[in-house]
Amino acid sequence: MIKTLLLRLGSMPLAILLLTVLALASAIGTVLLQNQGQTDYLQQFGPLWYWVLRSLGMFDMYHSWWFISLLGFLMVSVSACLWRNVPRMLGEMRARKVTLADRVWRRMEHQQQWTEQGLSAAEVAERVRKLAPEWGWIEERVGDVLWLRGDRGRRHKWGYILVHGAILVILIGGWMSVQFGFRGDMSVPEGGRESEIMFVQGTGTGHLTMPFQVQCNKFTINFFPNGMPKEFRSNLTIIDHGKPVLTKDIIVNKPLYYKGVRIYQASFGDGGSAIRMKLFHLDGTGRSSVINTRVYDTWKDPYSSVTLEMTNFKPFNVENMADPGEPKKFQDLGPAVEFVLRGKGFKSVKIKSFMNPFVIGDENRGSFMMVSFSGDSKDYEAVPLGIDLSNPKEWQLFNAFVRHLAQRTSRASGESGKEANLRAFKAAIFDVFGDDRPADIQQMGMRVIQSVQTLMQLPWPYIPMLEDYDQVYYTGLELARDPGINVVWVGSAILVLGLCIMFYLSHRKVWLRVATEGDGVKLHLAGMSNRNKLMFDEEFHQLFNRLRYGSGSGDEA
Amino acid sequence: MNTMTMTQPAEGMIIYRGKLAVLRCWAYLGLIGGMAALALFGGDYDESAFVFQMLSMTGALWGGAGVLAGIGVGALLSRGDDAGVPGWESKLVPWLDGALVMVLLMGLWSLLEPAPSQISYTDQSNMVSGKIIMAMNVLFLFSAICYIAQLFAPASFIGKMGSLAAWGGVYAGGSALLLRWYESYQFLGGEIGHAPVSNLYEVFILLCCIISIIYLAFERRYKTTGLGAFVMFLVACAVFFSVWLGSIGQADIKPLVPALQSYWMKIHVPLNFIGYGSFAVACAAGMAWLLRARLEQRGKTELLAIFPTLEQLDLLGYRAVMIGFPAFTLATILGAAWAAEAWGGYWSWDPKETWALIVWLVYGAWLHVRVSHGWSGRVLAWWSVIAFVVTLFCFVGVNMYLSGLHSYGRLT
Repeated sequence: MIKTLLLRLGSMPLAILLLTVLALASAIGTVLLQNQGQTDYLQQFGPLWYWVLRSLGMFDMYHSWWFISLLGFLMVSVSACLWRNVPRMLGEMRARKVTLADRVWRRMEHQQQWTEQGLSAAEVAERVRKLAPEWGWIEERVGDVLWLRGDRGRRHKWGYILVHGAILVILIGGWMSVQFGFRGDMSVPEGGRESEIMFVQGTGTGHLTMPFQVQCNKFTINFFPNGMPKEFRSNLTIIDHGKPVLTKDIIVNKPLYYKGVRIYQASFGDGGSAIRMKLFHLDGTGRSSVINTRVYDTWKDPYSSVTLEMTNFKPFNVENMADPGEPKKFQDLGPAVEFVLRGKGFKSVKIKSFMNPFVIGDENRGSFMMVSFSGDSKDYEAVPLGIDLSNPKEWQLFNAFVRHLAQRTSRASGESGKEANLRAFKAAIFDVFGDDRPADIQQMGMRVIQSVQTLMQLPWPYIPMLEDYDQVYYTGLELARDPGINVVWVGSAILVLGLCIMFYLSHRKVWLRVATEGDGVKLHLAGMSNRNKLMFDEEFHQLFNRLRYGSGSGDEA
Repeated sequence: MNTMTMTQPAEGMIIYRGKLAVLRCWAYLGLIGGMAALALFGGDYDESAFVFQMLSMTGALWGGAGVLAGIGVGALLSRGDDAGVPGWESKLVPWLDGALVMVLLMGLWSLLEPAPSQISYTDQSNMVSGKIIMAMNVLFLFSAICYIAQLFAPASFIGKMGSLAAWGGVYAGGSALLLRWYESYQFLGGEIGHAPVSNLYEVFILLCCIISIIYLAFERRYKTTGLGAFVMFLVACAVFFSVWLGSIGQADIKPLVPALQSYWMKIHVPLNFIGYGSFAVACAAGMAWLLRARLEQRGKTELLAIFPTLEQLDLLGYRAVMIGFPAFTLATILGAAWAAEAWGGYWSWDPKETWALIVWLVYGAWLHVRVSHGWSGRVLAWWSVIAFVVTLFCFVGVNMYLSGLHSYGRLT
């Protein structure tokens, strides 16, 4: 009963079926994105299908019970197959039948016959051993016929055994990795320490505390001359029982190894940079105030309901400045901070505020920001502000202009708009600069006039602009311990070795029947190979020539 | 069992036999050994510096010593082919000769490069490698046309032309890739130099060359020129794809992202493509089998003059998988080793990894039914074709349609 079950389990159709099912199942997991947020799945599939797929473990399917069972089943099948075939194969490799029945003899693909005069069968056997020693001849005498048998590549069945054994070893190694190892992420801000990793566990997040702490001293990014990142480098110190024990740099492809745990450079981000913002009040007073905060903090205005939730900071912001359809043209727009602006009386928005004005060639087009009314980074729109807010004089000029303009339009309605503008502007310049006008007053004027349109439309009490920053990165590390990895490597080595034996070593058998005939002998050589029949053709031919003519060359008839 | 009707393996060309070939082979091996010794013991190894170090006086000394040592060992050890049996050297030496020719051609092309002042990273159209690759494209297309024409007019000289053009294409493609390697050091102060196996465009050129090399080795060995029509048809498709990639701006040499900056790239990628290339040849043999079976059924024998027999095609398919499967297995294992070094685990069920496993399973099953069940013929022919479609998805489809850790292969 058990035996038949084992035979079934080790059978070929089952193996093929298993391989096919495994292939199909694996394919599903590449199409259905794995380990995404649960809300994303819910949105994508709707409640019913979400529930069905979730109960089938489809969102983490390579670790689901049924996929693991499939792999387990594969292990059972391979074991059964080995159990079924190995004894037979070992027996076949050992057994070398010297004599052959006529029926088998006739079916041999390769045959040659010839006669030798003046030689006895024993002398022939001796000569054969000398001329072709690599065949490992054995002999048996049956009546007056001497049988010789030679083999090459007898061990080729080991290929099969090794390959199937290797798959078992690899699967066991994989199981050990999952069972006794771990793999997770941690983020360490520059100057900070961390000892806990996080990882995906089913539909939730798992935590694990390391027996040591990782301190990030510094994180740096190096760039290629064309602006692409060249290297992400973290300088780490391992702190064990409160004492620093090891300080080392890691980069991608060069992890750090400590107490069985490998520490990899995986990602990076903002680690809570210090941010100084300047708020330009739009209440007509022309005030501006400075606030200090940090990324991930929320600043609350003590005088109103307004809050700034700082979400990110980037010192470089390379954007494609080309129009759609044009070849891409990248330009670094400089440092920018992202935050969510909330308050009574206006819709909360996500803003990316740049420190520098937008400059094309020599032309300063003034400060700008990216605003997303939906709160999603996809919906960012560029909002040019007109004036260059990084220049305090320009802010003064703008306010003076607005003040003069308001005075003029309320006092004498007889003045035409254009004229009022011009006079107000002249008065404003005199207020701010006196007679000492800067060289770019023309451009500045254009920006100020433009600002009157844009700034007045803003619904916020003030414009928060990035004034200064002190950047702090966090380094994203991946920590992994893998006790099964060496088992997997051993299995892999065996696999490759087995494949090479299986494919490139063929078992070739030759028989030589030596029958005494008169004062000489009649020889009959026959051979077969289990694969690579082409090369055996040549090999058989060469063997025949060697035995027949005493050398390997002979004529290549 | 009926007898095999495959042609005898061809006798090697005269330059690949005899004492000279044996010593030459050992000299090459000595050179490789000398360079490896230089990398290991010649001071601090630095990837980019090493390329230049090999060509410097130090390189000449280490290499020369290696060559001499190799010749010495060869003269002492090798039986040569005194017994008339060509040794392994005569099988290896054509490959090493070919590699040397490619390197020499690369050196020759490099003389035609534009002056340093004319080289610009933003416009790479004046680099010589692009022109050589264009020549390769033309040669491969011409070769495909010749081989296909040969099916209808089995004049041996058309087949010879096809074969010659394919050889030309291989040497052009191989030397152009080497030249691209050299060129990558000419941009942005030599900071971005890297092996030319870093994006889809480069690996497609590699793929064209590898498919052709495997086929040409088969052709030389088994004299099966009829198969060329199918193999070179696939190569022609690959050529069109790479031309399209070039036209959408994928042909430029770009810096490597940090994840790819590893010596593993130079091992993992080419080995994978030996696998893919062999599977392509197996697919061509399968297509030829199916076509021949259909033609025979309809009694249209006039096309079959130079077609290999069904049995030969079956065997050629098997031989191709025999090369491809171990290479692909090894490539996947080495890929896992790289992943263990770069991503924190040897297996992450990343789409590319998973599809590599699927390809492996498909060919594993193919081998099972063939070797253990003794299947052959129609089912296996179809299987080879479909398995190659799966392979294609693994290396192009995954990049184009799925995301994951291998995303640097994506089209941008």
